[in-house]
Amino acid sequence: MSKPRQLNHSERVLRDMLGDLSQVTASRQTKSLAVLGCGASDPRPPEHCLRACLKNDPTSVDANGCSWLTAASMGRLDTSGLNGDKCPKGFSVAAETVSLGGRTGFVLSVEGACGREERASHVKGFERLESLSRILQHVGDLLEENEGLAEEVLRSYEQINLIFEFTHKIAQVTETPEVEARLLSSLGELLHATNIAVVSDDDTWRIFDVSDKPTQLQANASAAPTIGAVELDGLRRSGKVSVFSRGDSHLLGGPLVRLDGRVDIVLVTRPREACVFTSGDMLLIESVLSFGGQIISNCELHEKLRRMSVETTRALVSAIDQKDHYTCGHSERVSLLAMMVGRELGLLGSDLQSLEWAGLLHDVGKIGVPEEVLNKPGKLTDEEFEIIKKHPEMGYEILRPIASFQSVLESVLHHHENPDGSGYPYGLTRDEIPYLARILHVVDVFDALSSSRSYRAAFRFDQSLEIIRKESGTKLDSEIVAAFEHLIAEMRRKSPGELERMYASEKAAAHD
Amino acid sequence: MSRILVAEDDPHILSVICLWLSQQGHDVDEARNGLAALQQFGDKPPDILITDVNMPGMDGLELLHEVSQNAHHLRGVVVLTNRWDHREISAGHAGVNVHVVPKPFSPSKLADLIAEIDSDAATMSPPE
Repeated sequence: MSKPRQLNHSERVLRDMLGDLSQVTASRQTKSLAVLGCGASDPRPPEHCLRACLKNDPTSVDANGCSWLTAASMGRLDTSGLNGDKCPKGFSVAAETVSLGGRTGFVLSVEGACGREERASHVKGFERLESLSRILQHVGDLLEENEGLAEEVLRSYEQINLIFEFTHKIAQVTETPEVEARLLSSLGELLHATNIAVVSDDDTWRIFDVSDKPTQLQANASAAPTIGAVELDGLRRSGKVSVFSRGDSHLLGGPLVRLDGRVDIVLVTRPREACVFTSGDMLLIESVLSFGGQIISNCELHEKLRRMSVETTRALVSAIDQKDHYTCGHSERVSLLAMMVGRELGLLGSDLQSLEWAGLLHDVGKIGVPEEVLNKPGKLTDEEFEIIKKHPEMGYEILRPIASFQSVLESVLHHHENPDGSGYPYGLTRDEIPYLARILHVVDVFDALSSSRSYRAAFRFDQSLEIIRKESGTKLDSEIVAAFEHLIAEMRRKSPGELERMYASEKAAAHD
Repeated sequence: MSRILVAEDDPHILSVICLWLSQQGHDVDEARNGLAALQQFGDKPPDILITDVNMPGMDGLELLHEVSQNAHHLRGVVVLTNRWDHREISAGHAGVNVHVVPKPFSPSKLADLIAEIDSDAATMSPPE
């Protein structure tokens, strides 16, 4: 006899239910209920009935067993002509058809050797069996429905988990290509793919490896799945997920739609010996690609906006620098040097970003200083100097209404404050001066000394550094000066000539 | 195939886990809370215990503590949790192979983990 196949969850529930029922309905220990013809064939008819049927040989059920039991277990019993007469002496049997899990089964009641008065209640037994089979049918249907729902829940769990893990993974990533690579490799992992290919709308192919560490493979012919231009075009136009079978592999394709309407086709490849893609896989790729498309679009949009705001600011700042003929490129250099010093001091992300912007914008208030004052050759009068000293406050007022510049406001306002209190506009001392403003101040002074100003020729870098060192602790913050000196020394050691190059363009522009 | 006991108070999650694991060919028993699980653990010792952390009566960590006293037959424990302090959960149960799986869990990864626990147990020498 072959080993009985593993029961599924519903069949086990039915079996347990039958077990309970047969205990309840048994008026004699010799009575039993079973569903034959589907998985839930326990409990079996009473052992002694089987033995009587099978002439004491339970292994011979197919060869010479009870024809009813055999037919019922094969799902082929005709219940219409059933009566107890063909049973071994003293036994009777009754059956009702049910359909469970798409298969025909029979609720079978076998009653053991019984007396005359028991036979009289046989009709009653049939009636009971009929209602019982209806209940079983109903329960079986519910279980089946339940199982379908549970499958759906399992699929949703996979999707939620993927989204959860994916968002966790990309929390630190802002570069669009990396977001894309992580999304696709997660998808590939979930679909047990060998690789994933992306076909852009200009027909360029990119192929991604499926692993924890996403890498974009060289697009080589052997890794690329074979798919015709017609099929690709079909995918692009229908916007629907489709499955293709190939001689050597299974292929699942779907569209990755960007918010601007661009459509990439994503092709997931599974080796031929793996199982075919199911409707669940199709649902999965559909939902992953739809949220993935939005995330990737958002990243691209974010990057585009960021680039646009930096470029716009640069253009405006350089327009202001133009006004002051002798400080061409000053703001760009201060921005760059301030960030380098910040990094030297161990500052991180948002502070470095503030330094970049504050460097670019620190002199924006000079827009309110008359050009003849800015470009006056020779020494300024006290009155003129008072006007110049207004530029940090004017810069502050100009930038204040811009919400995203809040973090640079105080650096702009205080970038001319000195630790000894001799600076402007407020004469703050030491720790009262915001940290980023102190950095900006040192870098600003260095750049002013090193570039050609209207009132004197440019100092060489060594002389500039010498002056800065002398003013360390009084006009300039000593911690920042030390870091700055270290930075310049390192720069000269590692990439000689770089500092000169930074200022070369300034000279050329100044001599125009 | 393993004998698995699942302790989870949410009936929907419980039935989904049991369905999934029995589809994978395991012999699965279910318990609605920690106390019921502890009772079943004694009556029919499982190879693997899967337990939620937050349950009424006896929670998953108490259950883990109780069963780890008598766990020589146990191949592994999988703790399902919404919490992030994984180290605290897996610490202090010497001799028990504890794995922490964050919710929402991936059914396929849970199945992979069960297979891994089984294969680890197969390569280890049998207890004396």
